[in-house]
Amino acid sequence: MTSVFKTTALAICTAALGLSALAAWAQAPHHAHHHAHPQGQAKAAAPAQRTVLPFDETSWAHALQHGPRPAAYLFTTSYCSTCPAAFEVLHKAVQQRKDKPELNAVMMDVTGPPALRHAAHFKGMTRMYAFDGFEPAIRQAVDPAWPNVTPYVVLVDAKGQTQRVIGPPTPVMLKRWLSPA
Amino acid sequence: MNILNRWCALSILAVASLCALPPAGAQDPVKDTAKPIKPAASAPHARHQRPQLATGAAIAPDGRLWAVGLNAQSQLFVQSTPLDGALQWSEARILSTGADPIAADGESRPKIVFGPQGWAVISYTMPLAKPYTGFIRMLRSSDGGQTFSAPFTVHQDRQEITHRFESVAFDAQGVLHTLWVDKRDQPPKGSAQKYAGAAIYRNESKDGGQTFGPDTKVADHSCECCRIGLARNPQGQLQATWRHVFDSSTRDHAFASVGAPANRITRSTHDDWQINACPHHGPGLALNAATSGYHTVWFGIRKVNGQDQAAVRYARLNAQGEPLPETLRVLPDARAEHADVMADGQNVAVVWRSSEGAQTTLKAWLSTDGGQNFTLKTLGQATGYNDHPRLAQSGARMVVVWRNTQETQVHDIRF
Repeated sequence: MTSVFKTTALAICTAALGLSALAAWAQAPHHAHHHAHPQGQAKAAAPAQRTVLPFDETSWAHALQHGPRPAAYLFTTSYCSTCPAAFEVLHKAVQQRKDKPELNAVMMDVTGPPALRHAAHFKGMTRMYAFDGFEPAIRQAVDPAWPNVTPYVVLVDAKGQTQRVIGPPTPVMLKRWLSPA
Repeated sequence: MNILNRWCALSILAVASLCALPPAGAQDPVKDTAKPIKPAASAPHARHQRPQLATGAAIAPDGRLWAVGLNAQSQLFVQSTPLDGALQWSEARILSTGADPIAADGESRPKIVFGPQGWAVISYTMPLAKPYTGFIRMLRSSDGGQTFSAPFTVHQDRQEITHRFESVAFDAQGVLHTLWVDKRDQPPKGSAQKYAGAAIYRNESKDGGQTFGPDTKVADHSCECCRIGLARNPQGQLQATWRHVFDSSTRDHAFASVGAPANRITRSTHDDWQINACPHHGPGLALNAATSGYHTVWFGIRKVNGQDQAAVRYARLNAQGEPLPETLRVLPDARAEHADVMADGQNVAVVWRSSEGAQTTLKAWLSTDGGQNFTLKTLGQATGYNDHPRLAQSGARMVVVWRNTQETQVHDIRF
């Protein structure tokens, strides 16, 4: 729990102090869900784009249960050159909204600085996560039927309902995602 | 089909990798100076940095099995063993690669191939600082792998762009062919022009990698991040298959004779997968000697009764690379990933891995009648991180090399 606290504090401090140069792999470890979306802090804390948070087999269930709504998760890899365009679709969809739904990127193959190198491709990103463990196991925890194809996007709406798509979401999906609860 | 042996020397390296995982960024390009985000110097590393297990394997002309990969310190190493009788792996030999970072994950892995006159080459992709970019690098040997040169860049184009996912092979005349995914034809950023995917480029060397001909285009509009499958035709000329972007948004597969004029391609699959995404799941190709056609395996999503069906599929192609629709089969495993195919005469082996949570099973689908009928076999299992299965073949002799963090399994394919 100590490291969980440190991670959360780091994210808050990073945002509050505007330390944009601080790029730290959040070292915490097993219980990634504890800091995947600190309850009650998702809206309060400003984006912590310079931190990569671990995402393990338990993170997804916790994010769905306790994470912010609406939110979007784009699962990507260091070699996925089609992913930034899909993220841009998400960014454009929320740009004019006051509630600023979270847009999260989840790197599946690299962590730390190699993951952060891709942050610039995800304009408007709230948080960056990185798989922390065996990729197929984490992927199947997110969706047992998801073949290893990226971008894989999950839209979580205000009611907690999810829409999943490989590739960029369609306008119809985006509209449904952002409709009021 | 037996497990021949446990690869003891590599096991030691693998276990060592668990104990001494490199810090995050340890494999970063040293020339990482112009990134939008600089890592903090004191950044702690991840608990579970993904080990770079992707390994290349080949059988040398003298029948020894060779493997090339990265150790826990991200150093390139080679090992070899005779295949007759019990495996006796040589000590891992570290090769000098200067400051090169080396991609060794998934479909991007170091490779080793052997040619005539004692020639052997090792290739790999060197990632550059800018995301999605890289150079194809190579080490050359003229003494059967006893010594290797310093690494050099294979292609003439030196822009900081994509040159990745290389495949290398010697043809029957001893010409070394290197093919790779290349983005030099992308329109400038901000341009109104659109260019779907990337391109496949190639070059060739007639002296075992000492000198190379010009970079030439094989085809426009390949997928960006999948391996390229290679096989010889009956005359010993190389044929290639790769995931291709047809009609700007359909990701199926193309087939081409290496050396043919640019964009002379045949569509070899018809999944009609309409997607702008990155499957990272390239095709496999093997000669079907009985028909002068080919066996191929690939991953794709196609509509079946109105529903998307993701699957790894097998089919045979004619000599021009056109699919023979009646031969299409779905592998008998919904979780099949990263399949590859080998063939010799009427014997055909399709090999893949299949993960269920942390458990991964190595499976084979074997045919003795040219792909008419198959028998499913389980070759091995692993828990946690593991590489894709790597095939090595010399005539009728076929083995599968499969590395995980504990060991490297070598399976002899017996029909």
